[in-house]
Amino acid sequence: MHHSKEVFWWSLFSAGGVMAALFMPALMVATGVILPNRGPAAHAQIHETVSFWPVRILLFVILFLSFFHCGHRVKHILMDLGLRRASGALAVLCYGGASVGTLAAAYVLATLGSG
Amino acid sequence: MARGATIKLDVFRCRPEDERGTFRSYDVPYREHWVVLDALNWIKDYMDGTLSYRWSCRMGVCGSCGMMINGQPALSCAVFLKSYYPNSIRVEPLSYFPVDRDLMIDLEGFLAKLKSIKPWIIHEDEKPLEAGEYLQTPGELAAFKQYSMCINCMLCYAACPVVGAEEDFLGPAVIALAQRYNLDSRDQGAEERSVAIDADEGIWGCTFVGECTEVCPKQVDPAGAIQRAKVASAKNWYSKLLPWGER
Repeated sequence: MHHSKEVFWWSLFSAGGVMAALFMPALMVATGVILPNRGPAAHAQIHETVSFWPVRILLFVILFLSFFHCGHRVKHILMDLGLRRASGALAVLCYGGASVGTLAAAYVLATLGSG
Repeated sequence: MARGATIKLDVFRCRPEDERGTFRSYDVPYREHWVVLDALNWIKDYMDGTLSYRWSCRMGVCGSCGMMINGQPALSCAVFLKSYYPNSIRVEPLSYFPVDRDLMIDLEGFLAKLKSIKPWIIHEDEKPLEAGEYLQTPGELAAFKQYSMCINCMLCYAACPVVGAEEDFLGPAVIALAQRYNLDSRDQGAEERSVAIDADEGIWGCTFVGECTEVCPKQVDPAGAIQRAKVASAKNWYSKLLPWGER
């Protein structure tokens, strides 16, 4: 069966959409709003939770797919805004940005607790 | 409603030699039970015989009378004057299509896309006639029936911003029809169709705006069909990466 390379990017976009919709709001409320207001004890608690390897892996999967979801969506929005001819450059920019975000997430998650 | 009441129609007029069209206004008798197509027929019969537009069944079956009515794609046989009265009604040819004349659009591009997905049943092995029919269970029929309701009226094309922006995008109706055959238990043509479907802009141009499904007069849900086509393509692609996947 014939396949465009778009199938790969779209599958990351699609999986990322599910991840972002399911986990992102809860993660943002928990780590961005509730826990910071509970003082150092809560910080230690979340640090301990995130240091647990299965949680790190889950967070990595959520962040990696959400980054590519975002990159693909932004690329298509820019194409719809008239940059259709620059789709090659946009791909480098958007998927490159998602890759940088993914690598940064991997680095932060891998080095947690070691510093 | 006053006796002898009229309603104003601003109708797009364009001859093949014109570079751009103009609007012409017609005051048409207002009847509560008239649809926009009735008003156009009245103009054609009593006011201006040069007005060109397509129509046939006047009952939402043939799919030929699609137009932009006050900016919305609709079958002109299904939109009543009373929905607009006493305001005027603007009638234009379907958006994003080249215009042949007045309200008639050029269908060539659409028909070429339709042909590219081979909208017919493709058998791997053709049975001899004596072997009888290709039987189907009600469940197998239900799998594709919704997508077979398309009447090729092209309202979904006029509603889709991606159709306007990307010439090579196959468009809602054509992808829904490809799904109609791909999901048919008697058909083995998915591989052949994938050449057109899975081209860079074939299905992938769709950004799930969803307007196609909103305007569809037959509840085909082309937006849903396109998402299912994408999922099917992705599943097929990943299954081939697996060591035990089919090549």
